[in-house]
Amino acid sequence: MTTGLLAYLLIPLFTAVLIPFAARTRHRLAGVLANVTLLAGLINVSLTLFNPANLASAFSGLAENGFALLMIFVIYLVALCVTFFSSYFIGNDSTVNRVPYYSLILTSVSAMCGIVTTGDFFTLYIFVEVLAVTSFALITSDDGAKGLEGAIKYFLLTFPASLFIIFGIAFLMLTAGTFSFESLKVIIASGLPVGGVVFAVSLILLGFLIKSGVVPFHTWTPDAYEGAYAPVSAYLAGIVTKVSGVYAVIRISMILRLFEIKAYHTAEVLMFLGMLSIVVGALAALRQNEFKRMLAFSSISQVGYIILAAGMGTPLALLGAVFHLVNHATFKTVLFLNSASLEKSAGTSDMNKLGGMEHSMPWTSWTSIVALLSTAGVPPLSGFWSKLIIIIALWDGGAKIYAVTALLFSVVTLAYFMVMQRKVFFGKPTEASRNAREVRPAMLVPVVGMCLLIAALGAFFPYIYAYLVEAIAARTIL
Amino acid sequence: MNPILIPVILPLASALLLLLVSERIKHLRELLTIAVTGACFVSAVSILNQALFGTGMEFTADWAGYGLSFTLKADRLSSFLLLAVSLFSFVISVYSFSFGRKGRARWFYFNLLLTAAFSAGAALADNLAAMLFFWEGLLIFLYTFIALSQNGQPARKTAMKAFLINGVTDLCLLIGICITGYIAGTMSMTGIAANKLTLDGWAALGYALMAIGAVSKAGALPFHTWIPDAALDSSAPFMAYVPAAIDKLLGIYLLTRISVYLFALNGFAQLALMTLGALTILVAVMMAFVQNDYKRLLSYHAVSQTGYMILGIGTLNPIGIAGGLFHMINHATYKSCLFMTAGAVERQTGSNDLSKLGGLFRAMPVTAVCFIIAAAAISGIAPLNGFFSKELVYAGTLNTGYTWFFLAAELGSVLTLASFLKLGHSVFFGRRPEALAGTREAPFSMLLPMIILAGICVAFGFGARLPVTFLIEPSLQNLGLRHEEALAGFHFNKLFWVSIAVILTAVVNHLFGLAAAKGRPDKSSDHIHYAPGLKEIYAMAEKGAFDPYEQLRKFVPFAAGLLYKADRFFDYLTDTLPSSAAGVFSKASQRFHTGSYPLYMALTIAGFVFYILFTATYGGIK
Repeated sequence: MTTGLLAYLLIPLFTAVLIPFAARTRHRLAGVLANVTLLAGLINVSLTLFNPANLASAFSGLAENGFALLMIFVIYLVALCVTFFSSYFIGNDSTVNRVPYYSLILTSVSAMCGIVTTGDFFTLYIFVEVLAVTSFALITSDDGAKGLEGAIKYFLLTFPASLFIIFGIAFLMLTAGTFSFESLKVIIASGLPVGGVVFAVSLILLGFLIKSGVVPFHTWTPDAYEGAYAPVSAYLAGIVTKVSGVYAVIRISMILRLFEIKAYHTAEVLMFLGMLSIVVGALAALRQNEFKRMLAFSSISQVGYIILAAGMGTPLALLGAVFHLVNHATFKTVLFLNSASLEKSAGTSDMNKLGGMEHSMPWTSWTSIVALLSTAGVPPLSGFWSKLIIIIALWDGGAKIYAVTALLFSVVTLAYFMVMQRKVFFGKPTEASRNAREVRPAMLVPVVGMCLLIAALGAFFPYIYAYLVEAIAARTIL
Repeated sequence: MNPILIPVILPLASALLLLLVSERIKHLRELLTIAVTGACFVSAVSILNQALFGTGMEFTADWAGYGLSFTLKADRLSSFLLLAVSLFSFVISVYSFSFGRKGRARWFYFNLLLTAAFSAGAALADNLAAMLFFWEGLLIFLYTFIALSQNGQPARKTAMKAFLINGVTDLCLLIGICITGYIAGTMSMTGIAANKLTLDGWAALGYALMAIGAVSKAGALPFHTWIPDAALDSSAPFMAYVPAAIDKLLGIYLLTRISVYLFALNGFAQLALMTLGALTILVAVMMAFVQNDYKRLLSYHAVSQTGYMILGIGTLNPIGIAGGLFHMINHATYKSCLFMTAGAVERQTGSNDLSKLGGLFRAMPVTAVCFIIAAAAISGIAPLNGFFSKELVYAGTLNTGYTWFFLAAELGSVLTLASFLKLGHSVFFGRRPEALAGTREAPFSMLLPMIILAGICVAFGFGARLPVTFLIEPSLQNLGLRHEEALAGFHFNKLFWVSIAVILTAVVNHLFGLAAAKGRPDKSSDHIHYAPGLKEIYAMAEKGAFDPYEQLRKFVPFAAGLLYKADRFFDYLTDTLPSSAAGVFSKASQRFHTGSYPLYMALTIAGFVFYILFTATYGGIK
């Protein structure tokens, strides 16, 4: 574990423990405490990341792991957006109990920080399990029947993941005698036969593939995202499942590429599953009627891009995967938070019952447009650059058919989002949308801020690229 | 500013300025245009002076890179052409001062000035790309000139016809220039001329395409068909300016440039050019002879005379080329003058129909005298300018040994004279109809340009030495041609006697036609028009059976239908097919995601069983 980043893990944990005591009588204090903690952490990590001196010194000032730092930034950002949004979303008549809600969110932030800073598989496993438990509880925040069903599905369908991870770790202990990434690198470099190690790593990888919701292990995602309490879906889709699954897959594929030809087939499977997710997710998203369910399928499809790039395994592809992970967190959070706003204002997120919402909710409509354009990869937004890097990396790496298919399916992405935008925001107002009002400005702050970030990540892409190359590719990927 | 830019920039800027002038202010537009074109003429004289007696002016600006530079170069041929272009811009703008039926004055002068600017640019451009730029600019103003010259559908239809014909041939020119520039490795005409290209392989195609662009601009067969239509559907000043003068000047200029300056032609190309020239002479003059509209008759002659120039250039010997260039400037002079008389008659009588006109000599004596001078010049009657240039073309043609072309050209001369006898007789002599009893002479501003041009016809005839020494000879030197024979001067050689014979034949034909038509001059061509065999051909020609444009237009609906079907098919391939396929798949996946635990669990288990088997088999633990 990188000890320099330990504070990002411990402070939210401390607040999480503090909240039940401090906010026992005044429940609103829980939200304030959570927001303040996360905001402080975000400002702290931003000061390190966006210090102009870093660019000038080619990021040599960043003593810590650049990849972890970037992930911490995204974790804090999404968590802050969700908690800030929630503090206005949870009404007085809500069944949601604020104290455990914020406490759980902070615990999961702490677990995620643990995942991205750890340096060995066993600690990784522990934090993933902590994250899973907090997620089950968060999904059922509003005690709805659908939320319960989603949580149970999430639990039942992802428990094999823990099984495989623990098996893989045991197998790794038998073959390599170590859990740590660094000593694994030493073993690979020593030139001993590594067949067993590859298999062990493949098993761990399988666990994380299930957790990231890759086809054919995707079946829990639509139900969990749809059933979860609205801001929690944004939290889950934006960051939780990405860190507990996709981040680990990227991390493992960085190790896989060290095996070179010996892990060739595992990488091959990874790419195939990535492509399959892109195709199935996009095609399934075309016909969904429920906004959040459609977003869930879109999420599967976008995760496919990341997995595909991770399977490619060249440094450029891994950079693309990392950047797309960051971008996915931004735009998917915006879209899920917008679906929550819609649900609050219009009372439903069924796309067939909505229409013409752009008149009553212009801000929500415009932020959706920005986010969906970024998802579909329209320049100059951030999603364009990450998809571009991925497709170029695939083409350069010789996976030309994958590159072309990935390109084609970004058109399908645009298609299903356009269908959504037309059904929900354009066209004639329907019964449900006539009475809807724009949500209060405070609830728009997170989405508008995220949209600005999407535009900024696209506009300042050279800076981002320099960061990816200097701080991640040069130090983390070997 | 480099003075060579004046003839290009000045009209361009004033054309834009002109649009700002309010409709209410009278005469300002006219006077501004006259002043600007006059200034351009003066600067053209000084540019020519510089080219003849000093070093030619040059202007270069880097443009697009890759050898595409904006180079204007006033060598002797270009300055000669610039002088001619500016002269006609000036006289036409004077002539239009009191000519009413020319469309909205603002747009007429706008088009006139821009045509002047772009044709000056095309004449001066040394870089082929720059020349193409100006050339294509002229195409735009050709369209607007015709379309805005009259209100109503016919003008627009004809404008579209002119635009499409010239657009296609300009496209040929563009491709030709690309090929030529690529082969030569430079776009500079001076650079290409240093190593002339020979006609083999791609270079031959490049030459042929550029030649198509040039002869189509000049209005040769079969690209001429918009000119007679424009004669009816546009104004007399436009006809006198663009098809009669500017187009001929630029087209023949480019043909000369490419045929002599850029390429070294072979016998086949020579034969092809001469055949095209002779065919153009004969076919167009046959059509001209039977026309009954003043301007339409003139417009066919404008086509026919192009044939002489192409024939002259096609001989590829210095005499013929000198004849072609001399004929180019002469033709522009008298044809412009003739169209001006047509405009004057139209303005004073309200008609251009030969059957409604007659006996106007007394009413419009100055117009009539100008007409007679110009008509005599076009018919090649000694000692007017047309005689000398035609003599040079004939001599050049005889030098090549192809006597057939000489005979065809002489036959063309007979019919030319015959048709002008018919035209002059119908309009200015004979009995004046009752309706025209009060006809008066045209205003001075219209007479002055006619007098100037008729004066040039006489001056270039009696004093043929002058243009030959200062315009034609330097141009030949510029083209790198040497010759022994004297170009100017009057000789009682056999060509002179042939021309006398031509005149006599035409007069006899006219008298015979008059007698056959019972003294009605406008019907004096009927003995040929309705001769057995010819009658049917004429009827078909009037219906447009020989007009490639009209024939192609008939093919358009069918082709459009076919393309529409093809488009639907591609639409189906790119639109309907993928979206219906996506629809089928997404429906299937929707049906699959039922929410049932056993199904989902089964899928997950199947997935990891496959994964473990695969990685275990290939991953290492065998």
